Amino acid sequence: MTRLLETATLSVQPAAIRAYAELTQDFNPIHLDPAFAATTPMQGVIAHGTMSICLLWQALFRSFGADAFQDLELDIRFVRPVRVGETLTAGGRQRTGDPQEFDVWVRAGDGEDRLAGTVRLAAGPA
Amino acid sequence: MSRPITFDDFVPGAVMGETILVFEPALAQRWRSIFGDAPADGAGGAAEGAGLAVVMMMRAYLSIVVPRPPGNVHARQRLQLADTPRCSEAIRTVVTCLAKEIRRERRYVELRACGTGDGGRAVYDGHLTLIWAA
Repeated sequence: MTRLLETATLSVQPAAIRAYAELTQDFNPIHLDPAFAATTPMQGVIAHGTMSICLLWQALFRSFGADAFQDLELDIRFVRPVRVGETLTAGGRQRTGDPQEFDVWVRAGDGEDRLAGTVRLAAGPA
Repeated sequence: MSRPITFDDFVPGAVMGETILVFEPALAQRWRSIFGDAPADGAGGAAEGAGLAVVMMMRAYLSIVVPRPPGNVHARQRLQLADTPRCSEAIRTVVTCLAKEIRRERRYVELRACGTGDGGRAVYDGHLTLIWAA
């Protein structure tokens, strides 16, 4: 049977973006300055992409515990920008025929992927 | 202040620098302020540790590849996570330029950020694909 990951959610509010900027020391104005961000191809403030990876880690942790993070391989693309005020949900689905590989995503409330790719676990899920 | 690093400045194959960052408790506290402080959130556990591996990778890149033009976009992330960093562990990260190319009028830069911990143990090996703004 195909296994689904336990999900994890995060509401992306300005305070969270600011806190993540301070955590990573990434003060790119595309994340923090609405006036500047409006002039870029993103046409507005977007959250840091790696914030969504952290949310994906939570989904993996809830699904497999600490074992998931031993020799894990991640390959994802940030397919759409995450906007202020969006609620993100991280999840994934085991690939058919390969118990160690999962298609993973982080989606917003519109159902569209913001991050998508694969995670490969060294150990097969229990 | 020197001029920002532009696409033309990147040299594939060149080591751009290295830095050492310590997994301090304050980093974990900041992570918990965003992602939650309950054990089910991964606080104090592997989700937090894996998150801080990503944070340390980004901090290393951001401290070494400077100054950057505003408006760069992170397009793709590949990451081999050998293990999570441990509290108080010093993580040494070496940043290398792997490749650069222009596709559909966008300037793509690929960087490698390889992090090792105490005794040289492998922690992460990240490949960042960035759309460079200038």
